[in-house]
Amino acid sequence: MIRYTQISGEITELSDLPFWKKAGAVDLAYVGYGLVIVTLVVASYCLGSLNLLPHNPDDIDLELMMAPPLTPGHLLGTDFMGRDMLSRLIVGIQAYFLPGLLAVLISLVFGTVFGVLAGYRGGRSDTVITYINNLVDSFPRLVLILLVIAAFKPDIYYIMLVVGLTNVPVVASLVKGKILFLKQKNFIEADISLGLPTSTIILQHILWHNCRAALIIQATLGMAEAILMETSLSYLGFGVQEPTPSWGNMVQAGANYFMQGKFWPSTAPALAILFTILGFHLLGDGLNNLLEGKRDA
Amino acid sequence: MKLSAIRPIALVLTRELAITGFLLLGVSFVVFIILYLSPGDPFSVLLEGQLSTGEARAGLREALGAPTAWYSRYLSWLANMLTGNFGSSIRTGLPVLSEVFRVGFNTLILTIGSLIITLAIAVPIALYSAVRGTNRISWPLTMFSYVISALPVFWLGYIVIYFFTHKLGLFPLAFGFSGGDQKYRWLYMLLPIFVLGVGNGTISEVIRFLRAEMARVMAEDYIRTARAKGASVWKHAFKEGLLIPVTEMIASKIPFILGGAVIVEQVFNWPGMGRMAWQAAQDRDYPVIMGIAILAAVLVRMGSLLQSVVYVAVNPRAAEE
Amino acid sequence: MTTTPLLRVEDLRTYFYSQSKRAFIRSVDGVGLSIAKGETLGIVGESGSGKSITALSVMGLISAGPGVISGRIEFTTNGVKKELLQDLGTYVKVANKENRIMEIDKDVLGWERNVERVMHGVRGKEIAMIFQNPKSSLNPFTTVGDQITEAIQLHTPVKSEQEARERAIDWLDRVKIDSPRLRYDNHPYSLSGGMCQRAMIAMALACEPQLLIADEPTTGLDATIQAKIADLLAELKAELGITTMLISHDISIISRLSDSVAVMYGGTVVENGPAKTVLAVAQEAKHPYTTALLASIPSAKNVTDKGYLQAIEGDVLDTINIPEGCRFYGRCVRVTDKISDSCEHREPDLREIGPGHRARCWLYFDPV
Repeated sequence: MIRYTQISGEITELSDLPFWKKAGAVDLAYVGYGLVIVTLVVASYCLGSLNLLPHNPDDIDLELMMAPPLTPGHLLGTDFMGRDMLSRLIVGIQAYFLPGLLAVLISLVFGTVFGVLAGYRGGRSDTVITYINNLVDSFPRLVLILLVIAAFKPDIYYIMLVVGLTNVPVVASLVKGKILFLKQKNFIEADISLGLPTSTIILQHILWHNCRAALIIQATLGMAEAILMETSLSYLGFGVQEPTPSWGNMVQAGANYFMQGKFWPSTAPALAILFTILGFHLLGDGLNNLLEGKRDA
Repeated sequence: MKLSAIRPIALVLTRELAITGFLLLGVSFVVFIILYLSPGDPFSVLLEGQLSTGEARAGLREALGAPTAWYSRYLSWLANMLTGNFGSSIRTGLPVLSEVFRVGFNTLILTIGSLIITLAIAVPIALYSAVRGTNRISWPLTMFSYVISALPVFWLGYIVIYFFTHKLGLFPLAFGFSGGDQKYRWLYMLLPIFVLGVGNGTISEVIRFLRAEMARVMAEDYIRTARAKGASVWKHAFKEGLLIPVTEMIASKIPFILGGAVIVEQVFNWPGMGRMAWQAAQDRDYPVIMGIAILAAVLVRMGSLLQSVVYVAVNPRAAEE
Repeated sequence: MTTTPLLRVEDLRTYFYSQSKRAFIRSVDGVGLSIAKGETLGIVGESGSGKSITALSVMGLISAGPGVISGRIEFTTNGVKKELLQDLGTYVKVANKENRIMEIDKDVLGWERNVERVMHGVRGKEIAMIFQNPKSSLNPFTTVGDQITEAIQLHTPVKSEQEARERAIDWLDRVKIDSPRLRYDNHPYSLSGGMCQRAMIAMALACEPQLLIADEPTTGLDATIQAKIADLLAELKAELGITTMLISHDISIISRLSDSVAVMYGGTVVENGPAKTVLAVAQEAKHPYTTALLASIPSAKNVTDKGYLQAIEGDVLDTINIPEGCRFYGRCVRVTDKISDSCEHREPDLREIGPGHRARCWLYFDPV
């Protein structure tokens, strides 16, 4: 049997625990990693736009084809035409960065508007929003995008418009859910009876105080999805065309070489995709656990 | 399940079918809008394609010269579709519906197989984490699922192909479906199924959801009663903790798997709906891509229907709503 | 009283380790009880006094997570004594540093397996338990009847579906549910709270257990239904003579059904004895907490006497920072100058203050 005689007065300080065992440590690590990735992406985008690259991404060097990483002068090696991998990866970010932001912006703005309408007014607007939600969910995103490509043109901005619009119902139901929750707790009634103007109620109290965490998390997930879409589409040949690099078309171009055992030209961009999407996912999840949810111990 | 459960299921089924029909109507409308707004008037091309004889087409062209309201175009197109006439492919001239069905079957196999693989990976991890919590075994597995969900499925496909062709030498390098040994055909099918099942990007979400649901159910009062009476906890927790969440995941992830199928069919040269869609997008073959979009939506809604039916069959209270 | 009691609890301690507070929450802190065969023991106390946790500890339902248990629980049936807390200590490692607990390492898997092994054949069969909130305590996806039949098939020699069903319907009738045959096929959501509780009672008793533990069986039900369930329990007690551990914060049901009573406060038993003695307002020798409890019952006499509802001053005991003296000291109104020093610094133990009647109070014996 366990003896408990030594138990009296056993309150200990929190600092006695090694840091990795503290609650929330894992989530902080996730957020940390995610922020590193976001910083790298933004920094690379800026470098790329300003053309501050180690090499010209189009420079072919037939003597140094498929060099491995850490070759002198080429930190991440070269691709099958001797072009510097690092520069190409950096430029590849431009293929999805702004379009992705567009998609996220669209989904957040329209989503919030519709969500507020559905939650605040309820009734008809709610049914309509739910219907549209289900409607959009009925299409596989990629197929819908292919339809748009066939009908219009394979322009990445059109595509991101579609991606953004398809995420509107997700954001809308999130906001609607928050509003319903607040309604249930009578916060909104209280605000109204205090005579606060509707715009204040909506903008400050509902959106800013209650929704901002969830919206930021949606933004990270939306960006991850945008990256996935863009890379998949350029892999399929619908996005940026050679020789302009995009992570997706880089993987595709390296395919034949991969099958010959020369992995690097395809693997470098694939790993870039992996680590970046992972970063956004972990950022979103980490933030979610820290700010919103209860984690199981 | 008792006989008494059949009547509520029939009621729910009818209601869900009605909702599904209504949604599919909306789907057709969305597709219509996209095509109608597109430059180059693909709509006329579509409508023409739905007619079978040359004279009829000429007649339509004349008629289309005169201004017609958009809704009558929509309605005639819709009417044609409901009778199975989806027009003909611009590229091949073959009727869309039968062509898509022909390849759709391959995609169906791919989709169902991938769902099985995804669940086979996700369910054990989720259940283990739900019951044992975060420990030395479940945490790395969860981390692993995050990484798997972020990896580009096409690259995974390359790795798998390389491994099988070069290291195991099992399949001919020219990766074809109809070529090669007939008896290895079954094995050919497994590779893309495995790749799509692992790489469709939804595994970490599925694990998270299933784990959360099972953990929630385990904490319910009625499970405590089951323990207290010495009954099998698993038997009581199964319905709400596993069956219902799994059907919900199946229904909601089908769209992602279909999207992934487009890519995987490219990588493996698998003759399915996805590859046909890709081809159609390249060729601007509107009838084909439209037909595929609509049929994909039908597949998704069928998944939803399945989920509703299972939910009502298991949860008697839902039938009353 | 030389016959072995059916259930004997000795120095039961059930602690929960809180990661965030880095300390033990001492829900049950040294409880000793015994129940003789055929007796009904009522355990009464405020919320948080540890009554339910005591019951859950007996049933082995303190499972995963940070709960640790020590003490002895002896359950004797048919001359066979079974120690219900066997070996649990081997699955917990407490890491100490300068007499302070750093960490608890609990082999959850081993603990659970051990509990399952020990309690297999006991739960449901020898000891049955019914809970508060009967509606949520029944499986909403199965019919009420099937749940009872499941118990019957598990724990009685009746294995055939048909026979078990008949037996279940018979029991539903015995607990006075209307139209038992119809109700058998109902799901819990179709039944009212009172009916669900009756069904739970039927489920528990259909296996003819040696001991019934009833944890707040009437709490949460409508007032009129509470009385009816109490009636039912009284009838079943007279009919079957089943040994019961009844837990409630409702003194009226305790006094109605119990043969002996244990009053719990702050995780310990502060008074223990025959129901008539402990619950009689007239009885002088009593723990101050019991006195206060009885005085706070909204009854006609109490209100006329004082003109207002009497409450007990102060807050419920914080089960992390247990005071070094008597746990009730902060709220006690009967402290005298003579004993106040002892009350503040030394915890009294449970001692006899009358025949079969014990209390934990310095008022009744000298602090030696």
